[in-house]
Amino acid sequence: MSTLSARQLVIDIPERGDGTPLDFSIQPGQIWGVLGPNGAGKTTLLHTLAGLKSPRSGFVELNDLGFAQLRRKQIAREIAVVFQERQDGFPATVLETVLIGRHPYMAPWDVETAEDLALARDALKRTALSALEDRLVSTLSGGERQRLALATALCQQPTIWLADEPGNHLDLRHQVQAMNLFASEAESGRAVLLCLHDLNLAARWCTHILLLYPDGRACWGESNKMLERSALETLYQQPLAETTVDGRRYFVPATGAVND
Amino acid sequence: MVALYRFLLLILLTLPAQAERCVVDDINHTVCLPKPAERIIALSPGATELLFAAGAGSKVIAAVTFSDFPEAAKALPRIGSYNRFDMEAIVAAQPDLIIAWKEGNPREQVAQLRDLGLPVYHGDQRDFQDIASTIKRLGVLAGTEQEANAEANRFLEGIEHFRQKYEDAAPVRAFYQVWVNPLMTANKNHFIGHALTLCGGENIFGELPRLTPRIGVEAVLAADPEVIIAGGMAEDDPGWLDAWRPFSNLTAVQRDNLFFVPPSTLQRPSPRLLDGIELLCRNLETARGRR
Amino acid sequence: MAAVEALRRRSVPLLLLAAASVICIAVSVSTGSVAISVGELWAVISGGGEPLHRTLILELRLPRSLAAFATGGLLAVAGALMQVLLRNPLADPYVLGLSGGAAVAALLCMLAGMPPAIVSIAAFAGALGSAVLVFGLAHGRGSWTTTRLLLTGVVVSSGWGAVITFMLAVGPTEQLPGMLYWLMGDLAYARSPWPALIILALTSLILLPLGRSLNVLARGPMQAAALGVAVRPLEWSIYGSASLLTASAVTTAGSIGFVGLVVPHMLRLVLGNDQRLILPAAALTGGALLVLADTLARTIIAPEQLPAGVITALLGVPTFLYLLYRSR
Repeated sequence: MSTLSARQLVIDIPERGDGTPLDFSIQPGQIWGVLGPNGAGKTTLLHTLAGLKSPRSGFVELNDLGFAQLRRKQIAREIAVVFQERQDGFPATVLETVLIGRHPYMAPWDVETAEDLALARDALKRTALSALEDRLVSTLSGGERQRLALATALCQQPTIWLADEPGNHLDLRHQVQAMNLFASEAESGRAVLLCLHDLNLAARWCTHILLLYPDGRACWGESNKMLERSALETLYQQPLAETTVDGRRYFVPATGAVND
Repeated sequence: MVALYRFLLLILLTLPAQAERCVVDDINHTVCLPKPAERIIALSPGATELLFAAGAGSKVIAAVTFSDFPEAAKALPRIGSYNRFDMEAIVAAQPDLIIAWKEGNPREQVAQLRDLGLPVYHGDQRDFQDIASTIKRLGVLAGTEQEANAEANRFLEGIEHFRQKYEDAAPVRAFYQVWVNPLMTANKNHFIGHALTLCGGENIFGELPRLTPRIGVEAVLAADPEVIIAGGMAEDDPGWLDAWRPFSNLTAVQRDNLFFVPPSTLQRPSPRLLDGIELLCRNLETARGRR
Repeated sequence: MAAVEALRRRSVPLLLLAAASVICIAVSVSTGSVAISVGELWAVISGGGEPLHRTLILELRLPRSLAAFATGGLLAVAGALMQVLLRNPLADPYVLGLSGGAAVAALLCMLAGMPPAIVSIAAFAGALGSAVLVFGLAHGRGSWTTTRLLLTGVVVSSGWGAVITFMLAVGPTEQLPGMLYWLMGDLAYARSPWPALIILALTSLILLPLGRSLNVLARGPMQAAALGVAVRPLEWSIYGSASLLTASAVTTAGSIGFVGLVVPHMLRLVLGNDQRLILPAAALTGGALLVLADTLARTIIAPEQLPAGVITALLGVPTFLYLLYRSR
């Protein structure tokens, strides 16, 4: 299993100071949640960690190797990225879309084998999309497309997951199913990093939290240490109320009156 | 004895030369035919006229659209237009001579006809001498030298007649309108330009580099020609000339020197130029009388 | 099993299209202003026949049909590539100014009296230069959006059109007849079909193994990179091959519009968007379409001849509109 590490990493956001250089490792079995308000650079961080965007300084290591030493295809066999936005301009079926997850494993002249097909169908099953196999992607709902993106990444069999707002468009049940999927992936030794805007999803499932402030400052650590009400209130510029369920802390927006 | 030998030698030398007839065409290719051409295809209306002028009209088996002179040419089978012709129809007609037009025919297609082994004569007439020599050369290829030479000489004599007559005539500044929309004229290298010079006219756009330049109305007003001559329009439609009348400060309009010369008699390289030149010269002479 | 099934799924439409292409070429070779019966056609094919029929079929019709097939195939494959590159079905070498750039460069060389080989190389340089210009300008400082790219392409393309018109207006008159066809493509000027056919075959062979990468690229450059595609090199090889394809089409038959736009789009509506299927299918369909169009162009009002570009537009527009309407 693999480890993804940021080494003195400063992500490149135009017209913003360097802030805190990021220096952390996502170990197998961990689920990291990146929290921050809109525009803090969560997506840029995710793309930089995936090697899709160059950092301003520092570097990212995959199992102690810099991205410069790796071919794109090798990276793609380790890291799967679930994007927030997708381009479905051309017609394609659900099954075809899932199957592109096998791309990193195939030589140019290879044709999808029965094994690839089985993996794809399994991924569809785990995301409850089996019934939609032959549908055109353009006819799916937003939530179905979001699950399809998860299925494609599953089919890619990564050791590291980087997912940008995986709960987008999903109803509560499917959000929970998606988070359970990440939990089971982590349990089987994979490393997971999620950009989240739902504090409580992070509180419920993440083992580690990275707080990203709009000015580039950042702090990270284990969930129970990071999820402090005062820190989160500064992060979101929003008064919060705190409650405890089953020994875990959860946060909801406080109304003005409740504010301290 | 020596004389007899020489005579026999001469016969031996000229025999094959007589059987094979060769001319050099206007792109310096030597065109040789084993016997006089009997099935000729003309790839431009001008070439058709020149073939008829050379006495080879009866040997023309096909022509392109707009080949309307002489009357007999109108009945000829068509093989397309001068800039896009039916290669298949040409090959199927099995011509033994093709008269191409260097400036008008698509080069690739003419080259392909040559590659197929068909004898192609490339014509490119730029002045009166060219017309006469083309007629003569076509006469050689078609075996109608006698008629061709007579016609070529008649043409050159006609030209010479006009040259002498107007050599010392007072120059007349003239504008020849080839087309109306866009407004086009002809420079000194065009047959219209040659004709104007011959009649003692002074082509106000003679020095422009292109053969048929596109010009603006303002350029005509600025040059203020003494005569405006129009071709192109139908014989009974004075529309092009009437369009100039509102410009009342033009000398040509003030003196009513607005004339029509049928374009087919001035724009095609053929002996019919004599008709056009005669009309043109007469018009310029009228203008001189109105001074 | 699945591999075999996938191969079969792709090979059935391709075999059908190949058969249709052969039929189109056969129809084209057997029609013309001179009637040649099937028996006589067979005699010529089997090495006999009258000399006249041999000339008509082997020297005139067949080379022209093959040139039309190659040109149509080149344009359709180029169009399919540009559409994947831009993830926009409106892209084609004509719209993006590639064929305009090729035509301008080729015309300049012809005006300077260069030999045909130089003209072809210049056409390639022109197409590639135009691609670099369009993509460079559209790229600007940020990453390009396809709308911006298309707009840049359309503007550059009409710029080339104006340059061509200008060159035709000031160029020497005696050069004109050989040049007008650059504005409206015409197979009558095509000489040997072999360069175009060879380039079509070679590029298709080179592109086939890239098919799956192109499928991934069609989902966006980020997604493609995340799936292990080296995006920049792939994009540049698409520019390069699309330019080469366009340039050889343009030097064979001038600028023929519509094939590059309509054919890939029609095929996507029918066959889906697997480039491993679409690219060879586009080569076959584009070829067959232009063969038919050119056959009509030279026979429909014979002996008068039409430029093939007119027919492709007349056939392409209603077909395209119908398919678009039906797909809604």
